[in-house]
Amino acid sequence: MTAKILEKEELMLIKKLDFNVCLQCGRCTSSCPIFPKTGLNARTLVRKSLYFVSPLTVHPPLDLSDVNKVWDCTTCNICVVRCPRDVKPMDIVVGLRSILIERGEVPPTIIDALENIYKFGNPFGLSRSKRVEWAKDLNVKRVSEGNKAGLLYFVGCVPSYESRAQEVARSIAITLNGLGIDFSILGEKENCCGNEVYSLGEKGLFEVLVEENTKLFQQYGVNKIITTSPHCFNALKNRYKLNDIEVQHYTQFFADLIDKNKLKFSKSIDKKIAFHDPCYLGRHNNVFDEPRRILENIPGVELVELRHSKSRSICCEGGGGRMWYDPPGEESRLAEDRVNEAVELGVDILAVACPFCLLTLEDALKKTGNEDKIQIKDVMEVVRECL
Amino acid sequence: MEIIVCVKHVPETAEADLVIDESRKRIKTEDLVFDINEWDEYALEEAVLLKEKYGGSVTVITIGPEDAEDTLRKCLAKGADKAIRVTDKAIEGSDGYAIAKILYNVVKDLRFDLILCGAQASDDGYAVVGVMLASLLGIPYATMVRKMEIGDGVAKVTRELEDGLEEIVEVKLPAVLTIQTGINKPRYASIMSIRRARQKEISVLDLKAVNLAEDEVGEKGSWVIVDELFVPVRKKKGEILSGDLDQVVSKIVEVMKERGVLK
Repeated sequence: MTAKILEKEELMLIKKLDFNVCLQCGRCTSSCPIFPKTGLNARTLVRKSLYFVSPLTVHPPLDLSDVNKVWDCTTCNICVVRCPRDVKPMDIVVGLRSILIERGEVPPTIIDALENIYKFGNPFGLSRSKRVEWAKDLNVKRVSEGNKAGLLYFVGCVPSYESRAQEVARSIAITLNGLGIDFSILGEKENCCGNEVYSLGEKGLFEVLVEENTKLFQQYGVNKIITTSPHCFNALKNRYKLNDIEVQHYTQFFADLIDKNKLKFSKSIDKKIAFHDPCYLGRHNNVFDEPRRILENIPGVELVELRHSKSRSICCEGGGGRMWYDPPGEESRLAEDRVNEAVELGVDILAVACPFCLLTLEDALKKTGNEDKIQIKDVMEVVRECL
Repeated sequence: MEIIVCVKHVPETAEADLVIDESRKRIKTEDLVFDINEWDEYALEEAVLLKEKYGGSVTVITIGPEDAEDTLRKCLAKGADKAIRVTDKAIEGSDGYAIAKILYNVVKDLRFDLILCGAQASDDGYAVVGVMLASLLGIPYATMVRKMEIGDGVAKVTRELEDGLEEIVEVKLPAVLTIQTGINKPRYASIMSIRRARQKEISVLDLKAVNLAEDEVGEKGSWVIVDELFVPVRKKKGEILSGDLDQVVSKIVEVMKERGVLK
């Protein structure tokens, strides 16, 4: 397409990031779980971008023809956590993505997901009228004009439309109803939170989603939001500016209820369970204890730790737009490594708290032929079984 | 190269529940999402690629209500230079011939080397507008174009036929080419680029501006009129016969005799 050299306006998309202090130590690349799989090299991308923010006036041009690997990044945040200088290589990846987005040079499957989110409010391109089918036989209140919603359960696109993940939404709604907690959902009005839209660099679309969703929260008097997905949690808490609204992931909400003795279990489940820390709950937002507290309180649960746990958790490869993109030539997904790790540890259940992890790990379970060895379940599904 | 692209603003129907409206000739569209016709998207991309290679300009034309400007703006964001929208109440009910007449009247006084249209539209699927436009203009055309190379005053195009067969033809320019999907990879138009495209002007023309009378368009000006649009009634499921080959064949012959198909 157009010239491969960066234009002035495009520079602005990365120039405002403060990364002059990069030492080029390479810790980011060596920590990156995708680097050994596809060659995505965070250090090189930072070095190439550095030329434009450094005092150097003569430097090699940032040739965009070899930055297409930026689409491989899952935004797992390991590079940010490991950097000794507080550089955020992930932000530079997002900045480079936004340059490619503006140029229109985007992999077709990602184009489809973004256009679907704009047109239908979900990446699948499914009709808005089907967004609440997961709740059709449940007593779930929709927000209504003139009534203050108070607590809002922000369901998210995957739990709304995808049949396996719908079980998680159902588990959350059933548990809330069982506890007599008053809550509402946005229903057909709910739009994608845009966390992945932001990670993909589509700033314009992200702003549209922020505006529309924020308007809805204000219109219906929402003062607290709980989410199914850590991605929605991250977007609403850190990327939206919701000043008077408290945002929690469902694990924080239910751990809180356990601490207050309000969530009790009547059945036990004698299983060995390992919790898989989702990137957007753990590494991005430092929420490690709450999901474990919930599982430990369920009678019969033996909670064990995987080799790579908490901030060392292996990314399932679902974030950063990767649910809609396969790097050419990639042979297997990290989720398969994660499943093998769990099988090696000898657990009964690999517990998750993210719809992307749920889907990628279920797929990996089938691909590695381990369906009869372990089960993948969301924390909330285990909770619901033992209520 | 001066290129004209004809685009259509159509409803997205793949995942929608379609309802026939009271006239029983159309579907209800109030709750549907609209976007550029998929084939036209490939045509537009091809035009912009040609412009990037050879210079010149790309003009997009659509016939439709104000909402259709969303499609025009997407095209402008992707690299089209000018946009024209023709709108008039009388156009309602137009078939491909009437649409071709309108496009002909817009285009005949413009300078162009190439007119690109999508091979068909996803809503009514007639695949005639491009061909009729070429005939009215008296210029050559080729349909289902999967690849094209521009030479000196000619376009060498590869046409997609059935069964993987391809036909290569040389078409003298100016010509109309109808574009098949897969000819290229359409670029993405970001929200910010679509916003910036608001600065480019869209000319809006009515029937008078294109020198057409009301009876030359709409149902009156059409050769094909929709009688009825309906969802086929689900009949009883077929019967699956069991047994070995000889038994099944005898049963089939019996049924055919019963139904009067075999005498």
